[in-house]
This record gives sequence, structure tokens and C-alpha cells, in this order.
Amino acid sequence: MPLEISISVQAEGFDPGVEYRLLRSENYVDGATAMFVGNVRDFSPAESGEQQSVAVLELEHYPGMAESALTDIARQAAQRWPLGRVRIVHRYGPLSAGDEIVFVGATSAHRQAALDACAFIMDFLKSRAPFWKKEFAKGAEKGDWVQARNSDEEALKKW
Amino acid sequence: MINVLFFASLREQLGCEGLQAEASGITDIAGLRTSLAAKGSEWQAALASDQLQVALNQKLSSMEAAVKDGDEVAFFPPVTGG
Repeated sequence: MPLEISISVQAEGFDPGVEYRLLRSENYVDGATAMFVGNVRDFSPAESGEQQSVAVLELEHYPGMAESALTDIARQAAQRWPLGRVRIVHRYGPLSAGDEIVFVGATSAHRQAALDACAFIMDFLKSRAPFWKKEFAKGAEKGDWVQARNSDEEALKKW
Repeated sequence: MINVLFFASLREQLGCEGLQAEASGITDIAGLRTSLAAKGSEWQAALASDQLQVALNQKLSSMEAAVKDGDEVAFFPPVTGG
């Protein structure tokens, strides 16, 4: 099917089941659908020492650039693999443990293309899309900004 | 004027979401960064980070990129979405 890219940057939650059905609706040529969902954890994996509990994760974003950066990443994926539909949803604002943060879905005639496209989009999203996470322990007024990890930048080299 | 924006920890360090900077005398982002750093010791410290990232008109850019009147320049720490 002709390429269809759909991007949402939103405060509201999303339903992965609904997203799946939108990827599949009247799509009878792509035999493969791959999806990734990122969720909020209730702890912060400290690189040195003990884990910190996290009650709220707040996401800041750069309105406008967030949408265009995600669109650009989806287009790059579609240049590398034969994709049908590509859908990215990224949330912002305060989120609780367990909440969905991000959805990436791709359809293709080929399973490896759909799987690789999702992995590629997530790798580039993590290092190129303007979102920033701040973690709050239970009842804490002051949060801690999550530090970018070198491993995220390293992950891009495999593409 | 250049529309300058700050995000995340940098926004908090500066206590500033954004400002309008005079474009005359500024040729590139590095020059804009230098003129902003001259606003005070807080600004100098926050903008000195070698991790600092920059977007020009909502696209990731480099400190060497040319800027002109009407551009939007955003400074921010490394992104941590996903």
C-alpha cells in the first residue's frame, strides 16, 4: 500500500489495541505488523548504586519540533524499508508508573522490514526527538532530570 | 530578532523559557551562545556545557550554523524521550 505516516504528540493516553486496528484497517497487502510500546517504570536504574523509586515521570517536549522530528525519523525508516503504515504516538506531561509513554507501529509485506523499522525508529527517537524526562519519587516536589546514556547514542551506529 | 528557547534542565538553570535576542552582530549560533553567556555567571555556567544541543528552526543543528533575523534557536540538554 502507499506509504502513510501518522504522528501524534499528546498529553492523553492511547490504546495500543486501537492503534493496532488503525494500522490494519482495510490493509490487505501488508502481511506483517510490528509494534513497540514503552511504559513508565516504578524505579530508576541508577548506574552506580541503589535503585530509586519513581512515582511520577514528567515529560517535557519542544512543541512543533517534536512532531517534525518524529515525522522525519518515520520518513527515514520508510526510505530504508518497504513500509505501508507507520504510526508514532509520544506522550508528554505527568505520567504514572505503568502508563504508556510511546507507541511505534509499522506494517510491511515483510516481517523483518516491519521489525527493523520499529527498532530503527525507537533508536533514533531516543537520541534525536526533543523530549526530556524528569523523575519524581513518591510525594517529592523536586524531581531529577534523567541523564542521557551513551548507550543510546551508540545504538545508532548499528544502522 | 532571534527567537531563543531553552528546554528541560537548561530552562530551569536559567530560570528562563526563552527570549528575543538582537540579531545584529550575530552571525552564527556560537556567536549567539557567547552573547547569551555574557548575561551573567549563571548563564555562562549553564551554556558552557559541552553536552549542549541546539536546534535551528526546529531542526537539530550545530554551533557553526549561520543565524539571521527571524530565526528560532533552541538550546537544550541531550534528549531522553522514548
